Amino acid sequence: MIRMENVTKVYKGEVLALQNATCEVQRGEFVFLVGPSGSGKSTFMRLLNKEEKPDRGQVFVAGRDIGKLPSWKVPFLRRNIGCVFQDFKLLPNKTVVQNVAFALEVIGSPRSVIKSKVPAILELVGLSRKMHNYPDELSGGEQQRVSIARAFVNRPLILLADEPTGNLDPNTSMGIMTLLDRINRTGTTVVMATHDRSIVDKMRRRVVELDRGQIVRDQSRGVYE
Amino acid sequence: MSLKLDYVLRETASNFRRNVTLTLATVITVTISLTLLGAALLFGDAVDNATVRWKDGVEFIVFMEPDIAPELEAGIRHQLEESSEVSDFTYIDKDEAYAEVQELLGDSPELVEVITPERLPASFRVKPTDTLPERVDELASVFRAQPGVAKVVTASETIRAIEDLSSGLRQRVIIIAIVLLVAAAVLILNTIRMALFSRRRDIEVMKLVGATNWFIRVPFMFEGLIQGLIGGVIAIPLIWLTNNFFSVINDDVSLELLRGFTVDPARVWALGFQMVGLGALVGTVGSGIAVSRFLDT
Repeated sequence: MIRMENVTKVYKGEVLALQNATCEVQRGEFVFLVGPSGSGKSTFMRLLNKEEKPDRGQVFVAGRDIGKLPSWKVPFLRRNIGCVFQDFKLLPNKTVVQNVAFALEVIGSPRSVIKSKVPAILELVGLSRKMHNYPDELSGGEQQRVSIARAFVNRPLILLADEPTGNLDPNTSMGIMTLLDRINRTGTTVVMATHDRSIVDKMRRRVVELDRGQIVRDQSRGVYE
Repeated sequence: MSLKLDYVLRETASNFRRNVTLTLATVITVTISLTLLGAALLFGDAVDNATVRWKDGVEFIVFMEPDIAPELEAGIRHQLEESSEVSDFTYIDKDEAYAEVQELLGDSPELVEVITPERLPASFRVKPTDTLPERVDELASVFRAQPGVAKVVTASETIRAIEDLSSGLRQRVIIIAIVLLVAAAVLILNTIRMALFSRRRDIEVMKLVGATNWFIRVPFMFEGLIQGLIGGVIAIPLIWLTNNFFSVINDDVSLELLRGFTVDPARVWALGFQMVGLGALVGTVGSGIAVSRFLDT
């Protein structure tokens, strides 16, 4: 599903974010990216949806070299990759249901599809009763559920989560992890960058550790360190 | 991928609501720029009209009696051709004179109605070799004495001043118009960029979920189009006000020299609609360019 071959990414000619990284993720896998801040976790993710371009090496998504993708096709790549962030990135002036529907609207989904898919996904993340609330009326965990609903409503092949539990307390974090696990069980490949030791140790999934831009460990059913 | 009209309309409407002050600022900027530009162009037209008879070095005009005998007219023509002091002259027949009056009095059709080509005098517009005022007066008086000549009008000092002014003014008006146009475009670009900056989050999310660049761009361009249109439409009555101001100058009998300082209403309307079109164009292109800064290339 995802393959990186000898990928090197340097910012502004001096900050080495990734160095000769090679990594392959199979369809339906759940992968934790761990490592200290600045070790290249976010760069790893940003390369996958072509927010960044590698300086050297190749990135394959679903068997296609995305370096060869013309820029007008990048939006179509991104429709196959859902993204979740530490700061949720919800639109504050739209309600929960509008935030999720927005993701479908801007890719041109018909209204009938939006009407059936949005309530279903909100049911899945457990927010049916808060559909018409605004993000600032929700707790952090609920906001993250909305953002997951938005990322997953289009049934992407891959879900990228960049420290999704970074702003949440341990209990709420476990709820989010249960949700991501359920999404993974539908066959969606999940790549999650995290600093949360307890989550990684509890989930016992594949762990890829980065340090100063290099992959220093790749362990199935691994722990944080 | 289809761009849905209801999506574009809904987004545009909510953008307007959310950024009332910025929208207002853009519309006012467009209105002022287009009004100034329109007024400047109108002023250029009015100066042109007022000085149309005195173009290209014409220093005096020999008006003949409307019922002048053909042989007398031929005599004057012959005299002009022979004179070493005349470098060039143009014959304006009754029909041409009528056409000119029609243009000048375009906004007073009741006046045009009572004038017929027969009642207008034919004339010679004369360019002397020597434009020194005393020499011109001397030459003019030679023709004034001819039989069949009703009147000889010389370009007085004031007319010459206006004439000098008009050629310089024309260039300056064009320069001012261009500067204003660029200023308007930059202001619109900046206003839209500010509006976009307040919505960079929306754009970020749109990119993230895979909206195409055109999908992101079109609602903003539509917004710019509407702002430009509104600004242009408001500019039309303001341009009319400028034109009315010309009429005030024109009606003041003490300013006889500025007779003809007026513009055909059809021209004012045409200019108004051109300004609306220009506003729409600048608004659309401006927001298109502004939004591109936030998009991947």
